[in-house]
Amino acid sequence: MDKKINISGKILDNSSEEIIEKAIVIPEVPKPADPKDINYWRSFKELYSNPDFIRAKKLEFQPGELERPDVDKMSAFSRRKFLALMTASAAVAAAGCSNYKDRGEIIPYNRKPEEVTLGRPDYYASACDGCAAACGVLIKTREGRPIKVDGNPDHPVNKGKICSIGQASILNLYEPDRIKNPMLNGKDIKWQDADDKIITSLRSAASSGKEIAILTSKVISPSYKKVLDEFIAVYPTAKVYTYDQFNDNAKLSAWQKSYGTRNIPTIKFNEAKIILAVESDFLSTELNKVENVRLFAEGRDVFSEKDFNRLYSVEGAMTQTGMKADYRLRLRTDAMEDFVMSLLSEFITKKKISTFATDTKYGNAVSKYSIDEFAKKYGLDKSVLDHLVSDLEKNQGSSIVVGGESLAESTHIAINLLNDVIGGSKLYSSESIFEEVMPLSSKADIDNLVSDLNAGKIAVMINSDINPVYNFPTDYNFAEAYKKAALKISISELVNETTALSDYTLPGCNFMESWGDYKTRTNIVTLQQPVINPLYNSRQKEAMLLTWTKGNKDGYTYNLYHEYVKSTFEKDVFPSLKASADFNRFWFAALHDGFVVTKDKAKESTPYQGDNFTGSAGKSTASNDFVLLLNKHHSTGDGKYANNAWLQELPHPMSKIVWDNYAAVSVKTAKDLNLAGNSKDMINISNGNFKMEIPVFVQPGIADKMIVVETGQGRTVSGAIGQNVGFNANKLFSNTGVTPYLYYNVKADKSAGSYELVSTQEHHAIDDPVTQDLQFKRKIIREATYNEYKNNEEVLKEEEYVDGVLLEKFPSINQNNQFSTTDVKWAMVIDMNKCMGCNDCTIACMVENNIPVVGKDQVRVNREMHWLRIDRYYSGTPDAPKATFQPMLCQHCDNAPCENVCPVAATTHSPDGINGMAYNRCVGTRYCANNCPYKVRRFNYFNWRDRVADGFFQQQPIDQMFNPEVTVRSRGVMEKCTFCIQRVMDARMVASQEGRMVKGDDVTTACQDACNTSAIAFGDMNNKESEFNRYRTHKLSYTVLDDIKVKPNVTYIATLRNVYEASVHPEGNNPVKKDAETKTINPEGNKEGFKDSIKETHKDYTKEPVK
Amino acid sequence: MSFDSTYTKELPLVESRSSFKELDDVIIGPTERKPSKKFLAAITISSTALLIGVVCVCFTLYYGIGMWGNNNPVGWGFDIVNFVFWIGIGHAGTLISAILFLFRQKWRTAIARFAEAMTIFAVMTAGIFPVLHTGRPWLAGYLIPYPNQNALWVNFTSPLLWDVFAVSTYLTISAVFWGIGLVPDIALMRDRTKSGIKKTIYKVLSLGWKNSNRNWQHYERAYLILAGISAPLVLSVHTIVSFDFAVSVIPGWHTTIFPPYFVAGAVFSGFGMVSTVLIFLRKIFDMEHIITINHIEKMNKILLATGSIVGYAYAMEFFIAWYSGNQFESFVFLNRAFGPYWWAYWIMVSCNVGFPQLFWFKKVRRSIAITLPLVILVNVGMWFERFVIIVTSLHRDFLPASWGMYTPTWVDGGILLGSFGMFFTLLLLFAKTFPSVSVAEIKAVTTGAQPSHNHLNNNAH
Repeated sequence: MDKKINISGKILDNSSEEIIEKAIVIPEVPKPADPKDINYWRSFKELYSNPDFIRAKKLEFQPGELERPDVDKMSAFSRRKFLALMTASAAVAAAGCSNYKDRGEIIPYNRKPEEVTLGRPDYYASACDGCAAACGVLIKTREGRPIKVDGNPDHPVNKGKICSIGQASILNLYEPDRIKNPMLNGKDIKWQDADDKIITSLRSAASSGKEIAILTSKVISPSYKKVLDEFIAVYPTAKVYTYDQFNDNAKLSAWQKSYGTRNIPTIKFNEAKIILAVESDFLSTELNKVENVRLFAEGRDVFSEKDFNRLYSVEGAMTQTGMKADYRLRLRTDAMEDFVMSLLSEFITKKKISTFATDTKYGNAVSKYSIDEFAKKYGLDKSVLDHLVSDLEKNQGSSIVVGGESLAESTHIAINLLNDVIGGSKLYSSESIFEEVMPLSSKADIDNLVSDLNAGKIAVMINSDINPVYNFPTDYNFAEAYKKAALKISISELVNETTALSDYTLPGCNFMESWGDYKTRTNIVTLQQPVINPLYNSRQKEAMLLTWTKGNKDGYTYNLYHEYVKSTFEKDVFPSLKASADFNRFWFAALHDGFVVTKDKAKESTPYQGDNFTGSAGKSTASNDFVLLLNKHHSTGDGKYANNAWLQELPHPMSKIVWDNYAAVSVKTAKDLNLAGNSKDMINISNGNFKMEIPVFVQPGIADKMIVVETGQGRTVSGAIGQNVGFNANKLFSNTGVTPYLYYNVKADKSAGSYELVSTQEHHAIDDPVTQDLQFKRKIIREATYNEYKNNEEVLKEEEYVDGVLLEKFPSINQNNQFSTTDVKWAMVIDMNKCMGCNDCTIACMVENNIPVVGKDQVRVNREMHWLRIDRYYSGTPDAPKATFQPMLCQHCDNAPCENVCPVAATTHSPDGINGMAYNRCVGTRYCANNCPYKVRRFNYFNWRDRVADGFFQQQPIDQMFNPEVTVRSRGVMEKCTFCIQRVMDARMVASQEGRMVKGDDVTTACQDACNTSAIAFGDMNNKESEFNRYRTHKLSYTVLDDIKVKPNVTYIATLRNVYEASVHPEGNNPVKKDAETKTINPEGNKEGFKDSIKETHKDYTKEPVK
Repeated sequence: MSFDSTYTKELPLVESRSSFKELDDVIIGPTERKPSKKFLAAITISSTALLIGVVCVCFTLYYGIGMWGNNNPVGWGFDIVNFVFWIGIGHAGTLISAILFLFRQKWRTAIARFAEAMTIFAVMTAGIFPVLHTGRPWLAGYLIPYPNQNALWVNFTSPLLWDVFAVSTYLTISAVFWGIGLVPDIALMRDRTKSGIKKTIYKVLSLGWKNSNRNWQHYERAYLILAGISAPLVLSVHTIVSFDFAVSVIPGWHTTIFPPYFVAGAVFSGFGMVSTVLIFLRKIFDMEHIITINHIEKMNKILLATGSIVGYAYAMEFFIAWYSGNQFESFVFLNRAFGPYWWAYWIMVSCNVGFPQLFWFKKVRRSIAITLPLVILVNVGMWFERFVIIVTSLHRDFLPASWGMYTPTWVDGGILLGSFGMFFTLLLLFAKTFPSVSVAEIKAVTTGAQPSHNHLNNNAH
């Protein structure tokens, strides 16, 4: 070892090269004597002390390193170029990647629009165009996306409420099936090309004198009417036809014949004491339902000083109005006119009421009728008729008779007279009067249209947002006639039977993408403004017509109709208001409010004109054949909304059947037809030459020898949801009826077919002794008569006394009050007197809480997901059933039985009394659902969004529709009503920002907002001073299933039936009870009494509380 | 042959005087031979059933619980019916091996091993259902209390959680008990086998068993202790399973009679299944002299006793429904017997209470031809008992508006079939792998095995 290297590798001693060579051959690694003296070497050359290495080591830089590089010798490939190419290729690679998760542009606001705060909703006032009522709405948008539609609280007609079609309209906007581009024979084309060709055709038609037909639904918009007028001015051969399959035309023309004007006043139902509905469903399906139910419910308010109104319903079908009636008479619809005439006879001839009695014209006309004979002939309950007559007589000036839209004009004329006789005309509102911007085309007009089409006289036919091939009476054979038009244009949001036969199919805008103004009342103009840009390449129908009127294919601009509505408003509305503000300010204020109240006055109506009152009803045929009544579908209307899955899955208020329509018949009729009842039977119905096979549903309460069918289903061309659902009952819809909806001499027999109807509620026989009236025996539904309640406010508590001790005082075993809090504790009250069973709340809940649709096959196996359902209970006999509706939702029990059984604590109680669900934690044992006495918990048996109609709810742009505040639940998770916890949390946040505690009235739930009659109240039960608490602790309030002591936080106000009762309640103000309330019992000290009381209690349960 | 007429002569537990060698051959023989055609046919059938079950489970996991018939009022269907049914089947084994052992019922030796194996396989089969029945089985781990950063804890008030503990404890203890009991026999197999691989495996499993006095002393002590631990578990498991129902508020479930009623029912169904299987086993493996007709008769007596307890419970439920005056309760029981599921109720009553009454007759008890259909009916009846309790209580509870019917789907049927497939496949594999009867114990109860003062009498045979 002759070299020394220190620890840093520095060679201390340099030896000869020879040694190194040798060493390379035989590497001899020196072992340091001292462990610290380690030989760190980097290469053999260093290890063996190569002189080159030693030399190099002395130099800090290698030779040449310090010289400047020679540019010419370097590669031409520059660093810049290299980086540029690298970047470009990376970009190409990234762009070419098909799996790039591009979910559309997500761009933060560079400049935040005014009034938009991320995470906070904005509300815009607009108008719903779901039906001819044009309710004012408030559209909730989040980050520019509409997510919920509610009524505009300031709107004078609907006062913050809308119906289920309005609630569900949000789905129509995001419908994946919407037409996305203008199409010519099914192929996408450009707007300009379409406009160009259409304008050419229109011009040539106008010049050659050939007719241009525009078919549209009822025109309720002044601007739209102007557009049509201008169109006609440019193309003089154009004619406008308006058509609605379901309308109140008979009523309007009857009014004109009676009073000389078509401007019908609204009825002040809130001031009515006695209401008689003649085949009228004014509380549910008829126009102006939203206002009607609100006013009607004012007369059913337990807090009101006023007495309850009394509703009589005479009907052949089974409607919600009939179910809410205190007295319901079952009568075939063909006998309605006789019925009204008999009443007239009673008042005019017999009782000589009103000045009409002195006019012999009327006396002669009605004298042949008699109420007694009528009752005998139709087997009506005479005592009920007596009550009715005496009620109407006694309450002259505060009684009203309402005729249904399906009745004939002559019947309405008679009803008008009856109202004048009994002073019902005093309840006609003088302020709120319906006005028609443009009346519907008469039958003769439509006849002409069809014959012109058949004669080939029509060069261009424009269907503006209407589906005549489906909705026109069958005898027109419209599909064939339509094909004869030279150019067929259909404007529609969705494909339908008419677009399928059209040359041009032009995508219309949803109402949330449109401008508009609507005038349904004399003094109210409701404005419509878009809340989102058109999702697709669509234009609103008015703008299309305007473009064609301009005659310039490039005439369309985005603001075309916006400016038009604004200028109409400026010219027609603004001057009459004599406002001090300038127009622009006024316009924005009007848009903000959503409506303006003008000073327009309706045309004065003349006194009743007897000339048209012929008194010759003659329509009633007591023949042995069937009477057929066609109604519009309870949820999808005339079929326009058949593609709305929410509406399809909305249970029928009476039968609870979903995704279908059927022929409803009475129990006796079913027997006559040899039907087994509630099975899969079908019948053949033949209405003259028109026949169809349809499933039967045995509906208690329908008049014998009557068939009630809802149309609006059986669409053959629709989106993925609505196609081939149910049966097309328009096959029976023809011009052969007494009215478009009523047909006599209809034949029916059992057919060989079978078909399964599915419903959300099990049907069991009404008169089965085991299940009969369980709702009363189990104290699910509690009822009293209005008189009983007036005599003794404690009428409900009466049955709760056992041996003079209030049942509530019995201690419940082994229960704690761990959820009692002195802070806010949320609770709900539902007034069953005001609940009309309409399901509007159900839809609102679905929209608010992203509740999935499950489809017909899954409802069949009881897997519907509605968090809030309306339970319908029958009592009485199948012929004269009484029904009660009960909204049922999570009761948020204090001692919630679901909570203690969840193994993973996924459902727990919040300190403010809400029974919550932690979806993330839920493993889906379904134990909670089993243990729920109210069965309100819903389980995601499948990934419903993927399952319904091949993933309909997973398609774009439906994902934009969901409420971002509410989690979309995955498969295998339990869900249920949360009292709209997202709204509660929102209110908490606002309160905490304002530095205060949250208050009971800070929060409204979605169902509460939607309830047309404000039957639902939500608030803080610990705020003893609040209005809400007054409601909650009302003498008529009760909780469902008290006995099991789960302590629900939803209370119900018992139904009061305002039946005719002169007598005073015999046990009124029983003094024993007053003492009893203060008496408490000690179970230890008074065991004997306790036991006996318990027995007594059970004896009481078996008693029916209401006789 | 002479014997003291003041004593009833105890029947020999093993008929025919087989030598120990013969017993070894009869019992261990099947594990050493190639599988017979009978065996292959049996396992083909059972594994096919298992495979069908596996396919159905895959459908369930892929699409969701919606593949089953469960719905809104009836949240539990075949899933929990099968779970309770199989847990019940799992009761006979431990009862026979532990409780009868503690009571010194020597006749148990012939059937204990097999019954214990059945217990383990039945509990394993049962254990699949609680996991499978959850909507999101991949999160079933949430049911186990483990510390986590979210400070989430399980809900100790839920009977479903108690189930998790009860069933897993039961499975563990039963498996250990069974494993310990196997040690001397595995040692024997180790000594008999000539195959090297087998020998190695048996060596490991026999835990170094040398048949020494010391080994035996420890073994007996361990066995006794484990028997002591197992005995209360027999009672606790089904008691806790019954809490799943008894703790709820649903009429028809909320019943204090459930714990004893469920335990009796479990023993009843367990013995039913043991009988069913043993009747085939003794025939197939020629063990009719070891598992004798006397064993069958004794088990039939137990069936009669437990069946009558179950019958009493059925009657008492009706009595209480009437006596309590609770209208919900009365409705549920009327609905059970006369509602839409009346057929299920009457299948249950006739199979569980009606037919077993035939066991009052000695001839019936000792007739294989009658016993076999009866014990199969007991299995059917007990399956329907769980169906009746679960489905009929749920389908019409408090609110008439939320009533609904339950209809099982083909997937439900497939999984039920698969559960039988799994149980019998495991059982067949067991019978082929390990001695179905405890050789060591059976030797101890054969005639002549015991030291006897009456040498003459023994010789007289």
